[in-house]
Amino acid sequence: MRQILDLLLRALLVLAGAALLTFTLLWHAPGDPATTIAVARYDSVVSQEIIAQIRAEAGLDAGYWTAFRHWVTPLLAGDLGNSAVSGRPIWPEMRTAMALTAPLALSGLLIGLGLSIPLAMLAVRHPGGWVDRGAVAVASLGAAMPAYWLALLLILLFAVKLLWLPAMGTGSARHLILPALTLGLGTAAALTRILRSALLEARGAPFLPALARRGVQRRERALSHIAPHAAIPVLTVAGLELAFLLEGTVMVEVIFARPGLGGFLIHAIQARDFPKVQAVVLLIALVFVVVNLLTDLLYQLVDPRIGESDA
Amino acid sequence: MRAGRTILHPTDLSFAPGDRIGLVGPSGSGKSTLCHALVDQLQARGVAVAHVPQSPDEALDPLRRLDFHWSQAERALGLAPDAARRAQLLRALDLEGRPLNVRPWGWSRGMQQRFVIALALLASPALLVLDEPTSALDPIVAATTLELVEAQAARTGTTLLIVTHDLGLAAARARRLLVLHEGKLVEDSDTGTLLTKPQSTAAQALVAHRNWADLPC
Amino acid sequence: MLTVETLTVTRGGRTVLRDVNLTLAPGRTLAVLGQSGAGKSTLVASVLGLLRPDHGQVRWNGAPLPRGAAALVMQEPRAAFNPRLTLRRSVQEPLRARRLPDDPVRLARLCRGLELPPESLDRLPGQVSIGQAQRAGVLRALIAAPPLILFDEPLSALDAMTQKHTARMISELQREEGFAALVVTHDLGYAAAHADAIAVLRAGQIEETAETATFFAAPQSAYGRSLVEAAVSLGALGRQTAA
Repeated sequence: MRQILDLLLRALLVLAGAALLTFTLLWHAPGDPATTIAVARYDSVVSQEIIAQIRAEAGLDAGYWTAFRHWVTPLLAGDLGNSAVSGRPIWPEMRTAMALTAPLALSGLLIGLGLSIPLAMLAVRHPGGWVDRGAVAVASLGAAMPAYWLALLLILLFAVKLLWLPAMGTGSARHLILPALTLGLGTAAALTRILRSALLEARGAPFLPALARRGVQRRERALSHIAPHAAIPVLTVAGLELAFLLEGTVMVEVIFARPGLGGFLIHAIQARDFPKVQAVVLLIALVFVVVNLLTDLLYQLVDPRIGESDA
Repeated sequence: MRAGRTILHPTDLSFAPGDRIGLVGPSGSGKSTLCHALVDQLQARGVAVAHVPQSPDEALDPLRRLDFHWSQAERALGLAPDAARRAQLLRALDLEGRPLNVRPWGWSRGMQQRFVIALALLASPALLVLDEPTSALDPIVAATTLELVEAQAARTGTTLLIVTHDLGLAAARARRLLVLHEGKLVEDSDTGTLLTKPQSTAAQALVAHRNWADLPC
Repeated sequence: MLTVETLTVTRGGRTVLRDVNLTLAPGRTLAVLGQSGAGKSTLVASVLGLLRPDHGQVRWNGAPLPRGAAALVMQEPRAAFNPRLTLRRSVQEPLRARRLPDDPVRLARLCRGLELPPESLDRLPGQVSIGQAQRAGVLRALIAAPPLILFDEPLSALDAMTQKHTARMISELQREEGFAALVVTHDLGYAAAHADAIAVLRAGQIEETAETATFFAAPQSAYGRSLVEAAVSLGALGRQTAA
C-alpha cells in the first residue's frame, strides 16, 4: 500500500514538473508571442494597440510567476483554459481530436501485439532456425524503417495500386486501417525483438528441467511458468511503447490527414497558441505517467519480488 | 551419457530397497549433467525415481507460490489433492504448520530445500537422487536435512542416492559407495570396504583426502 | 599483532557486529566460524578498514592498521580478478599500488609453493582452472608480503580434494612467511585441520573463542556443539575410533 502511494506521489511530481517545464520553455521561446497571436488571429499586419491588448488579456505582461499562476489555478480545477488565438475553450476541441487519436493508438498497439506475440513464439521454437532468423530480420527491418516511409509505401500499395483503401482522411473504419497498420507494424517490430529475447531467456530458467522431471507437461510449463517470466521485460517495454505510440501518431496523422491530436498540436505550435500547446504536452505527459504507473503496478502483480524489501 | 561419453549405464545400478548409496566423483566432471541423464533414463525405463537438484533455485519457480507447486506436482502425478498426505510429508521434513501461500523466497534456503525433497517424496519414488545436497546449505541445516530425509526414506523403503564430490560426506551417510573416475564407474563396494581397502587409484586418492581431521573421542 | 576491540557495526539500523573482541598473533591462524548472515563479511570489511565501526577499533601492534598491511583472498576466484587482465598483471597490482619493485625471485618461489606453473600467470582468469585462479588469488595477497592476510571462505569454490591440497599449500607458505591469517569460513573441517584458534560468530556476536584442540574436544557454547555435531554428521570431521 505504501508503495502504491509512493508511486502515485511520484507520478504527481512528474506531472507538476512537466507542467512547469513546458510553461517555462514556451515563456522563454524567442519572438514576441503577442505579435504572433495577433497575426494568427487577424491574419494581417496589426497595430501596436491590438498587440498590447492581446498581451494584457493573455496575462503576458504580468511576469512569469503571475502568468504561471493564471494558467495553473484553473488547471487544478480541470480547466485547460481558452485558445489564445480563437478565444474558445480548448477542451471541447481537444476532445474531438482525441476521439480520433485514441482509436488509432490503441489499434496500433493491438496490431503490434497481435503480430509480435505469435511471431516471437514461432521464432523461439527453433532458435537460430530459418523462422527465427527471418523474424529477426523482418523485425530489424521494421525497426529501422521510419514511419513516414512505411506510410507512403502502404498508401502506394493499398490506395494507389490496389485501390482497396482510402489514402487519407477520416469518416469510416476503413480510413483507420492504413494509419493503424503503419503504427502497428513499427510497434510489432520493436516488440518482436524484445519478446523473442524475453522468451528465450525464460525458456532457459533453471527450474524448468526439474518441472519436467516432476511430470509437469510442456503446455503447463509454457503457460504457468515461461509466460509469466517472459512477461516481465515485455511489460516494461510495452508500456513505454504505448507512450511512444502517441508520438508516432502525430506523424502518422499528419501524413494521413487525420485531424487528431497530432494536427492539433502542430497547428497550435505554428500559431504560437501557447495554452493549446501546453494542454497537449500536459496530456501526453499524463498518458506517459499513467502508463508507467500501470506498468509498475502490473509489474508488482507479475513479479512480487519487485517492491519487496530485501530485509 | 551426454556428449558421446558413456559415464554410467543405468544397468550398472541395481539397488536394494531402503539402501543408502553414495556416488562420488570429482567436481567439474559434469556430475549434475550425469545426475539429470541418470534420472531421465531411469524414468524412461519406468523406474519411479525422483531428483532433488543441488539448489532450490533449480527446482522452484520464484514467481509461483509453494502451494501452487504442490498441487501442480499432485496433478502431474495424477493424484487427488490430499491435505493429510501433504501435512504428513511436510511434518516428516519438519515443515509442519508453515504457511504455503508464499513464494519460495519467503522461506530460508534450507526450508526451500526440504520443501523440494517433500515434493520429490510425493511421487513415492523407489529411488531418490540427491545432487550435492549440502552445498547450498549451512552445515547445521544440511546435517539436519539429511537426517530428516534418511528417516523418511527408511520409513518408506526409499533408496537414497547421494551424488557428491565429497567422499567424507558420502562415507558418513551411505552404506554403499560408487566411485566415478574419468567417466567410468571404477569402484562399487560397501562403505567400510571402500574406506579400508580401496581398489582403484582414484578411490585410494579419495580415501586419502577423506576427512580434514579426526576428532579425539 | 592484530587486536579487534569491542567492535560494533550497525548497517541500515541493524546491529551486524556487536562487541566483537579478537586477537591474532603473527604466524598464527584464527578461524572465525559462522553461518551465512552471522556477520563474517562485515567483520572482514571492518578489519580491512572498508567500514567505519560504530564503536570499537581494529589495531595492529597498538596502532591503526597501516594501509596495505592487510590483504584479502576472496571466495570466488574468478570474480576476484579483472577478466581482461592476465593473472600476472593482477598479481603484481599490490606491488604497483605501493610503488614496490618487481621481485622475480620471490614471485618464482611463491609460484612453486602454490604449484602455479609460471606460464599460467600469462593467461586470463577465465583460462585457468578454478583451483589455479584461487591460488593466484593467494599469490596476489602474498606478493607484497603483508603481515596480515584475510581469507573469506577461501576454499568453498573448490572440490573436496583440491580444498585439502590448497589448504596445505597455504599453511606451508604461512610457516615460511610468518603472516597472520584471519579466515572466515563455515567449513569446520578446514578450521580443525589448519587453524590455531577458533572464534564462533553467531548473529554478530562471538559465542566462544578457544584454541583449536580445546574447541573441538569440548565446545563450550551450545551453538559451537551443534556446529561440531553437524561437521561430524556431514563427514567433514571423522571420529577416531578404537581402531
